[in-house]
Amino acid sequence: MQSDGESMKVNKNCVGCGQCAAFCIVDAIDIKGKAIITCTCTDCRKCIPYCPVKALEA
Amino acid sequence: MKAIIIGSGLGGLLSAAKLSKAGYEVDVFERLPIIGGRFTNIQYKGFELSTGALHMIPHGPTGPLARLLEEVGANVKIIRGKPVTVIRITRKRGDTDYKFGYKDLLFENFKTPFSILNRIKLMYYAISTRKDPPTGKSFEQWCKEHLDQDWTYRISDAFFGWSVSLRGADVPVEEAFAIIENLYRYGGPGVPMGGCKAVTDALVDVIRAHGGNIHTSSEVTGLKTVDSKVTGIIANGFEHNANIVISNIGHPETARMLSETTGINGLKAYLEKVSELKPSAGIKICIQSDKPLIGHGGVLLTPYAKRVNGINEVTNIDPALSPEGKHLTMSHQCVHWSDLDNLEKEIELGLEDIKEIFPEKEYEVLMIQSYSNGWPVNRSSSGADLKGTTPLSNLYVVGDGAKGKGGIEVEGIALGVRETLHNILGKEML
Ligand SMILES: Cc1cc2nc3c(=O)[nH]c(=O)nc-3n(C[C@H](O)[C@H](O)[C@H](O)COP(=O)(O)OP(=O)(O)OC[C@H]3O[C@@H](n4cnc5c(N)ncnc54)[C@H](O)[C@@H]3O)c2cc1C
Ligand code: SF4
Ligand code: SF4
Repeated sequence: MQSDGESMKVNKNCVGCGQCAAFCIVDAIDIKGKAIITCTCTDCRKCIPYCPVKALEA
Repeated sequence: MKAIIIGSGLGGLLSAAKLSKAGYEVDVFERLPIIGGRFTNIQYKGFELSTGALHMIPHGPTGPLARLLEEVGANVKIIRGKPVTVIRITRKRGDTDYKFGYKDLLFENFKTPFSILNRIKLMYYAISTRKDPPTGKSFEQWCKEHLDQDWTYRISDAFFGWSVSLRGADVPVEEAFAIIENLYRYGGPGVPMGGCKAVTDALVDVIRAHGGNIHTSSEVTGLKTVDSKVTGIIANGFEHNANIVISNIGHPETARMLSETTGINGLKAYLEKVSELKPSAGIKICIQSDKPLIGHGGVLLTPYAKRVNGINEVTNIDPALSPEGKHLTMSHQCVHWSDLDNLEKEIELGLEDIKEIFPEKEYEVLMIQSYSNGWPVNRSSSGADLKGTTPLSNLYVVGDGAKGKGGIEVEGIALGVRETLHNILGKEML
């Protein structure tokens, strides 16, 4: 389901490596010490499996 | 004989390549959809950034990694920059930052800023420490006792911050001298053409050419053991049997999979030792510019910056790492464990440094990547590495949590892999 990006969450495992940002096709993730999901996010969940520390949750 | 490798990082792929070439049936299980761990490329705005490393191989085309790649037949071209390493010092003696200008010094001339007395001492120590390497303290402590001068701490923090993401105070003196020795033996860094991914891709080719399999999106969640042996792994809910298992996910994660197991000799002591390991942390700032900021493919060490230890501009060696007409420059700064709660402040200091290091140059920050804890610069800080063995005789650990002595980053991984494979394959590895 595509929505307005309210359901994607970043948990405390996040180290800020930026890997997820490179796989988000709408450039919705900002990185500064940790990932910040911006309002551009469509909740497509494509980034989730690319996080090496399981920090992304829908 | 069947070997299972947990994780497709550099250590796992090197082991898989060597074993598949030696006739083993090899299966690599990787949790992520991509192969290469912290040593592959990620594309961002047309630039080839990386999942970890700064596209640099610490001893270039003549180091332990290059040798291992050649042995397994992995086709990678590694180019050593010229100059290899340059140190940016202040314009005037006594200045403590770059605000009033800078001078660049070739690494070979790192002795110039020392006092005359310390230069003479250095010549003496260069010989005496070789015969009788110091032990039992940190490198910084040794410096305090032997070469106490502001420059000593600056250059050692910049060098070890860049190369192993630690401060001089956190590098054991034995490891520091082993690293320096290796620098003389193997030479300085180089860039693989194509970046990190060229190395891991070439290994994947070797593994597949010898019948090995790499399963992505396949997380290993447990180990199967009988007595003091591992008999297989569990991945995606299925059991897979093997004669040997090589873990590329570090000792702590490997130990965690064993923590419920009973009746293994030495397991308790192993779990305790493993719990003391500390991963090293760091921040990489990726920058793009139209004109080169550094202008050569070597390393720029920055001992007078507040946080940044060094910078490279890999597009001077491989222009294909950025879109046409653009340059890719990356800084690295070590983050001390006590600063991990203040990452944003550390990032700000790093950004200020870059402004001072490249005054009046135009550039844009592409991405700021930080690494710690479960996805660190090194799973075990240099000098504290455990060997590649575990209490289970056929379970091994490779990667940057089990580096060989004096081995910087991926060179340490290559040395560790060589030792582990020597244990498994015997003479063939010598
Ligand atoms: C900012 C930074 C800069 C660096 N710069 C350099 C440099 O310029 N030069 C250099 O030589 N080194 C550098 N390094 C270090 C280098 O990147 C690492 O040492 C190296 O990539 C680690 O390789 P590894 O073999 O330990 O495996 P890793 O890269 O850690 O790979 C392990 C793999 O195992 C997978 N995995 C984890 N758990 C499981 C599981 N349960 N089941 C299946 N798979 C699993 C992971 O997803 C991962 O792919 C840098 C590192 C960082 C972070
Ligand atoms: S869920 Fe989709 S849109 Fe949102 S951040 Fe992840 S990849 Fe980007
Ligand atoms: S990939 Fe994971 S750890 Fe890395 S920045 Fe994204 S959420 Fe954080």
